[in-house]
Amino acid sequence: MQRRMRGRGVAASWYGIARTATVDRAGAWAELDDGGTAKVVTGVTEIGEGILTVLAQIAAEELGIRPEDVTIGDNDTARSPEAAHAGATRQTYMIGNSVALACREARARLFAEIAAHWEVDAGALVAFDGELRAQGTNLAMTMAEAVDLCKRRGVVPVGAGHFTAHGTGLNPEDGSGAPWQAYVFGTQVAEVEVDTVTGEVQVLGLWAAHDVGRVINPRGVEGQIEGGVVQGLGQALMEDYQTANGHPVTHGFAKYILPTALDVPEITSILVEDRDPLSPLGAKGIGEPALVPTAPAIINAIHDAVGVRIRSLPATPEKVLAAIAEKQAREAAAAKAAE
Amino acid sequence: MPEMKLEMQVNGRKVMRLADPGQRLLDFLRDELNLTGTKEGCGAGECGTCSVFVDGKLVKSCLMPVAKAQGAEIQTVEGLAKPGELEAIQKAFHKTGASQCGYCIPGMVMAATSVLREAPEASLDEIKERMGGNICRCTGYSKIIEAVALARDVVTGRASPAVLEPETVGESYIGHNVRRLDAPSKVTGRLKYAGDMVMPDMAHMAVLRSPHAHAEIVSIDTSEAEAMAGVACVITAADVPGTDGFGVFVHDQPVMARGKVRHVGEAVAAVAAEDAATARRALTKIKVEYRDLPGLFDPEDALKPGAPVIHDYAPDNMVKHIPIRKGDIEAGFAAADLILEEAFSTQQVEHAYLEPEAGIAYVDHDDVVTVISPSQNITHHRHMLAGILALPINKVRFIMSPVGGGFGGKEDMIYQGMLALAAMKTHRPVRLVFTREESIAASAKRHPSRVTYRMGLTRDGRITAIRFEMLSDGGAYGMSSEGVMRKAAILSCGPYEIENLWIDTRAVYTNNTPSGAFRTFGGMQAQFATESMMDIAAERLGLDPFEIRRRNMMRAGSLTHTQQRLTSASIDRVLEAAEQASRWEPGAPTMRGPMRGDLGGPGTRAPCTLGARFETPKDSKERVA
Amino acid sequence: MLTFERYEMPATLPEALALWAEAPAGARLVAGATDILPWAREGRAGDVDLPLGIDLSRVAELRGYERHGARVRLGANTVWQDFLDDPRLARWLPVMPYCSVWFADDQIRQQATLAGNLVNASPAADGTPPVLALNGELELCRWAGDHIMCRTMRVEDFVTGPGATRLAPGEIVNSVTLDIAEGYGASFQKAGLRRSLVISVACVAALVKLDETGTRFADVRLALGGVGPVPERLRDIEDRLRGAAVDARLIAEVAEATASRVASRSRVDYRRRVVPGFVRAALEEAADRARVAPSAAERKEAENA
Repeated sequence: MQRRMRGRGVAASWYGIARTATVDRAGAWAELDDGGTAKVVTGVTEIGEGILTVLAQIAAEELGIRPEDVTIGDNDTARSPEAAHAGATRQTYMIGNSVALACREARARLFAEIAAHWEVDAGALVAFDGELRAQGTNLAMTMAEAVDLCKRRGVVPVGAGHFTAHGTGLNPEDGSGAPWQAYVFGTQVAEVEVDTVTGEVQVLGLWAAHDVGRVINPRGVEGQIEGGVVQGLGQALMEDYQTANGHPVTHGFAKYILPTALDVPEITSILVEDRDPLSPLGAKGIGEPALVPTAPAIINAIHDAVGVRIRSLPATPEKVLAAIAEKQAREAAAAKAAE
Repeated sequence: MPEMKLEMQVNGRKVMRLADPGQRLLDFLRDELNLTGTKEGCGAGECGTCSVFVDGKLVKSCLMPVAKAQGAEIQTVEGLAKPGELEAIQKAFHKTGASQCGYCIPGMVMAATSVLREAPEASLDEIKERMGGNICRCTGYSKIIEAVALARDVVTGRASPAVLEPETVGESYIGHNVRRLDAPSKVTGRLKYAGDMVMPDMAHMAVLRSPHAHAEIVSIDTSEAEAMAGVACVITAADVPGTDGFGVFVHDQPVMARGKVRHVGEAVAAVAAEDAATARRALTKIKVEYRDLPGLFDPEDALKPGAPVIHDYAPDNMVKHIPIRKGDIEAGFAAADLILEEAFSTQQVEHAYLEPEAGIAYVDHDDVVTVISPSQNITHHRHMLAGILALPINKVRFIMSPVGGGFGGKEDMIYQGMLALAAMKTHRPVRLVFTREESIAASAKRHPSRVTYRMGLTRDGRITAIRFEMLSDGGAYGMSSEGVMRKAAILSCGPYEIENLWIDTRAVYTNNTPSGAFRTFGGMQAQFATESMMDIAAERLGLDPFEIRRRNMMRAGSLTHTQQRLTSASIDRVLEAAEQASRWEPGAPTMRGPMRGDLGGPGTRAPCTLGARFETPKDSKERVA
Repeated sequence: MLTFERYEMPATLPEALALWAEAPAGARLVAGATDILPWAREGRAGDVDLPLGIDLSRVAELRGYERHGARVRLGANTVWQDFLDDPRLARWLPVMPYCSVWFADDQIRQQATLAGNLVNASPAADGTPPVLALNGELELCRWAGDHIMCRTMRVEDFVTGPGATRLAPGEIVNSVTLDIAEGYGASFQKAGLRRSLVISVACVAALVKLDETGTRFADVRLALGGVGPVPERLRDIEDRLRGAAVDARLIAEVAEATASRVASRSRVDYRRRVVPGFVRAALEEAADRARVAPSAAERKEAENA
């Protein structure tokens, strides 16, 4: 066997969006504010996934303003409506749709006033990027002017929205039920190199195709995929929290080994948009599903490279080398038996 | 503490302080100078969140006694750009979306700045090598490295500064690469995480943790600690006024150990004091008498008759069992041409968010008990804490501070209760910041799993039946085990329509570190087994791995494992997309690697051998070695 | 958490030695501080309060390096990054950059000293095998009431076991002296779970000089770390190769025999599999590099041109 052997593996996956086997819900408030800006209030904040930017994009799109004109608060149980937890790949789906609905209500208030002022049908109004116009006419004004006019007519353009995902509980006997109303699917291909002297595995390339529903922010989705892949890689190859009689052995980052920039493959993300028909935005999610297929794709690639099947994670250099030695011993014994 | 007159230039300003020369430069910057852009992620030089320049050289400030910086010129992330402005590297991070939770980002920006200063012509490999001391848990590094390369090209004149400008919007903001609104606050170190926040009169908390895996608490004597100068209060389970118990599903975990400890690292008592060092010293004065109980450390043992019982309410040590049954498993196996039996296991995994748990609690002017923390579920935490404190729900308030990485690990309310109790007892703001070691010992992990798998297939690769059994070590408390077992069961057999199924997932109590919510919530453990099985089956049947998946995949109208009718299933589309993008060469997975023709093409990198800096790029100055 | 009752920053060697001579029990010398700070944490030593820390980083005598004929004397404050950033050191000590690039990361290397790594005597220390290969010698100094007393000791004799050395009470490492190996090809092999901040399971340092025909080993230096209580020089292999033709079969043969050197108590099977592969790869790579390494004379010519 040569020192460095390469191979490829694939794994597919599926995942449900929002909380499991239960009714999930979230709420949000919105206000078109002076200067054509907006306030959006939700109970959740950024855990790094980019939700604040996603919500600003959604609000901007729905209200016809720019994302940088959106101020988001408040992440506070005493000041904002319930958003529940930042997890379960539910942020874009649950909070995003709540914000969209809240913004639509605020926009409808504003459009009703402007339509009355212009004496056109509210359905003819279109707002985008800070400009409002009535289709089929030359009527136009800035959103700053529109908010000012709306308020002078005595109306503050506010809205509230909530969104529900109708999951059902599982039957306790046979598990039957409809745990989610939206599903996503993914497939990843990994290309690895195995060093047969040390047992080290490097992942050199990774192609990740994921259905995320309608894409709100492509770079944000890629970022979630890349991060998920590298967490999956860590679990596949190095991370291992260990205890001895309940006592943590891997008590710091010198012992609990995480991937560094040198350990990550080139990652190619392919975003597939199968829009969700049950929600206003059509978006689904990507936070968790991104890492599901990574470890099996890597482990299948190791098998392709050196013919050993790792059944127990992580595939440490020690484990891989022992498996190669065992395979060679087995083959040698078989060859001898055949003589 | 000794004091020394420390003088240095910090971000271009002369600074003089009388301070402890043996303290870490990191503490001096954060505590004495309020430069909290420099973060503490691990305290052991392993993560790089504390990187700063000392006399032009990038170092980890958690590994440097401040005396070493005497007279030096220090530059922190706050000093890179003028207030209100961004340097090219910061703009590049903003442009590419290189920041997610942001906690590693000040250190990353510093490391990137060092690359641009030391090796402005660095190749991608050299950039990665020079940034190898900085860990990021969110981004997978890809967009960070992209940002450094972009800034490098701008700084060296290879690209126009225009590449750092935002993309112009087309007809919609949906689908547009809007730059992250929070990026400027992260790349400049301005964003305050809970551990960066300071309130007047704030006390500092330290937590006494169990050295035993399973032991009865015979007595706790806090009197000596209470009497220490600088101690504001000591709290134990006896201070809980309401119904003591929290958990994402079952509320089986007390704020601090009550009667017995169930895992090493469980909170037993806590001290709030004038400073963290005093609080830590006071912990050593708390006397706890334990009586050892037999421990459970293997989930198989937990199910044996006569096993020690961890929680009285669960005499069988079962946290949750989820069964799923579909079709006729016997008939399915009888119809199979090939039956495969395998076993798989996955390990416990640490979330390793770079922001260790931290929070501040205070009682406000209206007697509202307020907790600021990077909680991933303020709605549920408020609900539980109101019960624990026996307060009306509107007298408890949770504020979610910026979360420096969560991944599910900050869904458990493992410290907010202690902060609230100390704030109520002292009527002072109280802050707690976990050490990395404390975070690792006390927080939940990804559930480890053991799966036994039986799969029947026809000769043409169609799955006829699956029997899937998973046993998981839930550790000492329930946390999210119930939900994790449920999700693992529902997703277990993958995106395939299978007529005959028998699925059982079980989580049991042991005296190990608890397992809880972690990105995929059981989904990856189960599907690791399934996707391994698919390739094992493909090898045995001589089928291409994509082909065997296609023959079994769900489609619109398929019945899922829980017998839900799907209206759409995009698995066909993602299989095709991955196959095409990777230019997959079809064939059965029979150690084909040495013969494949699709290796090493676009989308792959060269293997890392270290020493990228030794390779002399053309038109560059001499490199060493 | 590490605290010091007293923290001193002596500026000269006599000051440092005098402080150290009179230091209370439990006092510690602080060089780069990259090991002592992580040591005083939960899971290891826990919270530690030391009566005195003597920080050596400002001691003038420990700075810099100078050449003495075929040897170079490195002040004890020489840090690992110096082997990457100083082209002259890299040329004189060709194995050091390859070792250094594996050592922790760029930032820790700015602080971590060569001498500190030797004194800590961790069985997993990357720094010791290359130093052994370069016939490293330490200068150990102490305060004798009114003057400095120094002795020298081979690094091979200095490290006696995991964390144990022959450093006597009151002594400070003043310098590390190494062979100049300009014109040698070098290699450093190390394995780990990842590619940065790696803790060695085993490592091998090799230096090879070829004869003028480029086909025979003129000199070979080989040292092994992480496989027993102390790093060791593989002199029997060096002797066997010296003068022999560079031959893949011979290299493979001598490498195979090194599995028996593994005396570690843990992960023995893994180490026994890895070490022969490392020795072979290190010798081959060092020989390849020796072929392209310019001789000192050529180098001088190029510099003058």
